[in-house]
Amino acid sequence: MNAMPPLQKQRKLSLKERYAHLTRDLGWETTYQPMDKVFPYVAYEGIKIHDWDAWEDPFRLTMDAYWKYQAEKERKLYAVIESFAQNNGHLNITDARYVNALKLFLTGVSPLEYSAHRGYAHVGRHFVGAGPRIACQMQAIDELRHAQTQIHTMSHYNKFFDGLHDARHMHDRVWYLSVPKSFFEDACTAGPFEFLTAISFSFEYVLTNLLFVPFMSGAAYNGDMATVTFGFSAQSDEARHMTLGLEIIKFMLEQDEGNVPIVQRWIDKWFWRGYRLLSLVSMMMDYMLPKRIMSWAESWEMYFEQAGDALFEDLSRYGIRKPKYHEVAAKEKHRLSHEVWSIFYNYTQAAAFHTWLPSEEEMTWLSAKYPDTFDKYYRPRFKAWSEMAAEGKRFYNQTLPQLCTTCQIPMGFTEPDDPTTICFRSAEYKGERYHFCSDGCKDIFCHEPEKYVQSWLPVHQIYMGNCGGAEVKDVLAWYHLNFGVDNFDYEGSPDQKLWDEWQAQKAANPV
Amino acid sequence: MSGTSYTLMVEPLGQAIKVAEGQTILDACLRGGIYLPYQCNHGLCSTCKISVIEGEVDLGDASPFALMDFEREEGRALACCARPLSDVTIEADIDVDPDARNCPVLDFEAEVVDIRPLARDIKGIWLDASAIDFEFQAGQYVQLRIPGVQGERAFSLANAPGGDRLELHVRRVPGGKGTEYLHDVLKVGDRLSVSGPYGRFYVRESSSLPMIFIAGGSGLSSPKSMVEDLLARGFEQKITLLHGVRQRQDLYYDDLFRRLAETHANFTYVPVLSDAQPEDRWTGETGFVHEAAVRLFDGMFRGHKAYLCGPPPMIEAGIRALMKGRLFDRDIHTESFLTKADDKAPQRSPLSQRM
Repeated sequence: MNAMPPLQKQRKLSLKERYAHLTRDLGWETTYQPMDKVFPYVAYEGIKIHDWDAWEDPFRLTMDAYWKYQAEKERKLYAVIESFAQNNGHLNITDARYVNALKLFLTGVSPLEYSAHRGYAHVGRHFVGAGPRIACQMQAIDELRHAQTQIHTMSHYNKFFDGLHDARHMHDRVWYLSVPKSFFEDACTAGPFEFLTAISFSFEYVLTNLLFVPFMSGAAYNGDMATVTFGFSAQSDEARHMTLGLEIIKFMLEQDEGNVPIVQRWIDKWFWRGYRLLSLVSMMMDYMLPKRIMSWAESWEMYFEQAGDALFEDLSRYGIRKPKYHEVAAKEKHRLSHEVWSIFYNYTQAAAFHTWLPSEEEMTWLSAKYPDTFDKYYRPRFKAWSEMAAEGKRFYNQTLPQLCTTCQIPMGFTEPDDPTTICFRSAEYKGERYHFCSDGCKDIFCHEPEKYVQSWLPVHQIYMGNCGGAEVKDVLAWYHLNFGVDNFDYEGSPDQKLWDEWQAQKAANPV
Repeated sequence: MSGTSYTLMVEPLGQAIKVAEGQTILDACLRGGIYLPYQCNHGLCSTCKISVIEGEVDLGDASPFALMDFEREEGRALACCARPLSDVTIEADIDVDPDARNCPVLDFEAEVVDIRPLARDIKGIWLDASAIDFEFQAGQYVQLRIPGVQGERAFSLANAPGGDRLELHVRRVPGGKGTEYLHDVLKVGDRLSVSGPYGRFYVRESSSLPMIFIAGGSGLSSPKSMVEDLLARGFEQKITLLHGVRQRQDLYYDDLFRRLAETHANFTYVPVLSDAQPEDRWTGETGFVHEAAVRLFDGMFRGHKAYLCGPPPMIEAGIRALMKGRLFDRDIHTESFLTKADDKAPQRSPLSQRM
């Protein structure tokens, strides 16, 4: 029996109450200018908010605590990066092929962190409620830190390996990097509520594990301790970002019944946009990691299908159903990575990382992970390509691919119910015909055609003469890619030569 | 408990509990009826971070990534690994629930003083708790140890707080060892081991909103306690109790609630039969209890507090009906009556944590 009578004294404010004072008191009704002039973007999306104070702060972190916390985390991270550099940590990775996953991350993902910084800073200005404003501003700072710490973590590899020298520039120009770039620009040019649905909910909450876990576990499995430590340092931030994603959805759904169909359409759209973007991760997991963690299909089942079931069961109480075309993603999970890796093998001459055909041992793993599809559809293809290469006729695709107008991925995906037929969809708008890789991408275009007809499609731009010239070499120079160094197969690359020399030295001078 | 113990003052509640030597702060709080948010329970996730305002603690195995150096210097600790080394005052990130009385959990033996059938498969059991100073909030439950049965079984208290007798409603679960013993073997004069009170299912009077109680079967127990308590204390807002059962013979305390409805203008009682028989000559509400609620409130529940108590499918259907009627989780309170066979509760996402 451990009860004692409560003391009679003034109760202190709880952290929640103190945080509420901090956030709520920073908002006021403006008088010099009407509120709708001060917050011009908050109404046009159709989302109705009746009571901004009903916003539940998803986390209660004051700026003061934030600085101290992040400062110490970064001190720890930079100490690890420093010791990684001093100890030549890059020599301890499983294989130099692993660095190609980092090239994809640095050129494809790190710039997205920076875009997220800009996006959150922007919407953090445009909400009427001080609660969401502060949450967005904090996340804007997180994202800037993530961009910086990622670049610093991976800069060590740039001293030794090719393709890491100008990620920011490449992100704006290289054909396949328009996939992540256009994804984020689509979100940043939407209204504030759609932006949060797109990035905080669909991306950070529903899909983030499918991006973060493969890269960070991939780093751990492949001996890249610097990148793993970056992962640890970002993890506590990610937990905050996910709760913001949940809160914004809940807030919109509870504020007005009329918000439900708008939110549903955004969830449909951003699920599909995010899923298409993740196809790059699928190939990374199944093909680019020398030591694999789990297959794309397994991670889709674990992180989307299982976790998503519980989430969408709860959301169904609000009248929200599972995202449209989730069943197509389930059908595609056994072929996605193989189709995407094949696209890159086709166009290795124009990629900022190296490609290769899977070894016999790797194909055994792929057969085991994809028993219904790999041996039937993809092993024969790799075998044929391998024979061609052995005869000195390595296959290069010499024409530029048709791109999907929405996701901007080359049209290499197959029909949901037929893995041997390329899926083509098209729609006409103002006398022009536009092409899509899927019903998901077509629906997105048809709902906002004026937005997507403005897409900067890399292939079109090359044909229009806007990308440095007509030859591959010209375009690559415009990309800031070093021809014959950054591109082509790993086999025969300067990366491979250097790595093999190091391994020979290691063998000659055993420690 | 043997050896030294310390006093732990928990802010912002202003509540004090005892901590045994070697016991963690989290363990002491949970056992003392104070809920602290926690997750991993071994120093990694930092969900249970607290501030030590006064006194000395051993920080234990808190991970350097979960509890930073500067936080240690500022007197932060992880409750799941911190152990007091003196009397201690902590501050935790808890929402002060103005309606929580945090009654201490007691372990005691109580004598069975009455057993009566209440409905077709429900028995009422009355225990004498006069020997101890047992306090609880209407709606809470106790755990019983039943002779020959592994583990404990939870039963809501059906009497209003304040009396010497504890009233339990026990539905016979076919094939269920615990309830079969209580129905078939237990007799007046036996003694049962009880611990409690537990649970956060109690009325949130501080919001002073009209209340809706939806009960299914023997899930009437908690609402009975809550309604009797509210009416006895002169609660003035509207109170509506809907009780769903299958047939007339399953309905119990019908007379009691009809009487209360006659004598209290703010109380409405609606029994609902889902499977009325011709011989029941039933003229009242029929169908599922949540459907009756939708009819009664014209589908709009905004501006109420709702309390749901009963089997999981009834709770789920009730939540859906309430949310469709624009009442959300901060105003919906539930107590699911799981049987041992229901161990696999449906997986939930963090979205519905609060309910």
